[in-house]
Amino acid sequence: MTAILVDGLRKHYGDFAAVRDVSFDVSQGEVFALLGRNGAGKTTTLEVLAGFAAPDAGTVRVLGLDPVKDRTEVRRSCGIMLQEAGFFPDLTVAQTVDAWRDFVAAPRPRDEALEMTGLTAKTGTKVRQLSGGEKRRLDLALAILSRPDVLFLDEPTTGMDPEARRNTWDVIRDLAGQGTTVLLTTHYLEEAQRLASRMAIMDHGEVVASGGMAETLAAQTGRVAFELPGAVTPEELPLPPSSVEGRTAVYRIADPDLAARTLLNWAGERGLRLHGLEVRTATLEDLFLDLAADADGRPENEHAKEVA
Amino acid sequence: MAARDLVTVARFDARLFWRDRTALGTSVTLFLVLGVGLPVMMDRLQPGRPEFVAAQHVGILSMLLVLATFGQAATTLTTRREQLLLKRLRATGLADRDILGGGILNLVLQNTLLTAVVSVALYALTSLPVPRDPLLFLVAVVAGAAVLCLLGTAFTPLIPRPELAGVMAMPFFLLAGVGAGGFGPLTEMLPGWVSTLLGLLPTDAIADIARIAYAADGTFGGDLAAAAGPALKLAVWAAIGFFALTRWFRWDPRKQ
Repeated sequence: MTAILVDGLRKHYGDFAAVRDVSFDVSQGEVFALLGRNGAGKTTTLEVLAGFAAPDAGTVRVLGLDPVKDRTEVRRSCGIMLQEAGFFPDLTVAQTVDAWRDFVAAPRPRDEALEMTGLTAKTGTKVRQLSGGEKRRLDLALAILSRPDVLFLDEPTTGMDPEARRNTWDVIRDLAGQGTTVLLTTHYLEEAQRLASRMAIMDHGEVVASGGMAETLAAQTGRVAFELPGAVTPEELPLPPSSVEGRTAVYRIADPDLAARTLLNWAGERGLRLHGLEVRTATLEDLFLDLAADADGRPENEHAKEVA
Repeated sequence: MAARDLVTVARFDARLFWRDRTALGTSVTLFLVLGVGLPVMMDRLQPGRPEFVAAQHVGILSMLLVLATFGQAATTLTTRREQLLLKRLRATGLADRDILGGGILNLVLQNTLLTAVVSVALYALTSLPVPRDPLLFLVAVVAGAAVLCLLGTAFTPLIPRPELAGVMAMPFFLLAGVGAGGFGPLTEMLPGWVSTLLGLLPTDAIADIARIAYAADGTFGGDLAAAAGPALKLAVWAAIGFFALTRWFRWDPRKQ
């Protein structure tokens, strides 16, 4: 059954087209990721789905209901973690959760919500004293309080430390396991890969890749870069680089470890050093550079795909 | 469900209100000090003239209601809009009308209570008698507070920042004071057309109904007939407020 349907969605703010003709659907119990850089239109899409803004064109349905016309009904079945929303700064964590428990029907017990989000130790702390990551966790606690059928998460782990991020991923996975439909936006490739069974990549208000293609792109998250030694030309390298930026050879590949080992062995045999060697996971920004390069038809990218 | 939600929000708003020192300073302390203080002073200056005390009481009350309902609603809602708290409240299952209605309900109850405290203090401390028609006086306060809250809510789209809410509500406070007699019988010194214009203010309607309730003579039927005009004026203001609210109210700092 389709839990979320977006068909031909358009949304303008004044002259600015925030979302242009976006379509996707999410099945019940599925985790779907909208991936994109800042300003890609992810938040606007999510806010339309949550009934905060009416679409200019297109159809949007959540559990078969119109989020604007049936706003109250939709909100009762949804948990929403907004990217930006305030808290009452002088209330403690416990007071905030208690107040919110009054606002929803059949809420989770306060301790359960705080335990799930790792905030038990902060129960008596005033919200103004929480760190950015802790506020994010409180946000999540409020979103899951009503045991929603559909959960909208707008960049849920921004500002969290690695441990809190992993914990949040576990919470999301558990909820999805229990049948909650999750639509999350993120600019972390890793987050989308770890959580989502399907994803769409948005840029400038449009879906630029979705389904299998998006997964393929997101899989190319390895990045190896180093300065070309002395008189070595890119053609002499054992692996053809994805691109050469000045004297820096850059590889974008699925398995950066293997590529780095091959390159280091090759350099060792020749007594060369790979200055500025960098082996890391690519960012969404790297991915978009790739996409842009593809659009330009630069031949180097053909090699990258072979390596991948 | 809606009535329950309305009460839940009102209770939540009350809890936040009594923690807010700025709100307590203006909407409670000032209300009590001026509401009791000025009529007591009038009574000391002109002893044995309860009609002067009543006029002062009714005038200052209309004026203070602007501060504690119109001004308070405008300040609270602008702050909540800018701090993205309205957006947060809207993300719950609460209906929009309950979020705003709960806030209004709380302010109406609080101000009715504050008015009761001020009135009882004046009955004890001055020559002011208990109103001949206490029910009508209650209606003036409750309906007046509700309409002013609605107007304060509808006024928020014009307020760009929370810091400006107080300043922007001030002219209405002063106009109410001049029109309803909070500063004394100033309208007698003003050109007739000014008095006519000031007479259109909702605070004038509140003061008019309250004056009917305090008038020495009258019958129940006569009171109702006399209050019909000001009541209609309040109803028109309520309709204006409601229309503006549904049309222009902003939940989000970002303009849609």
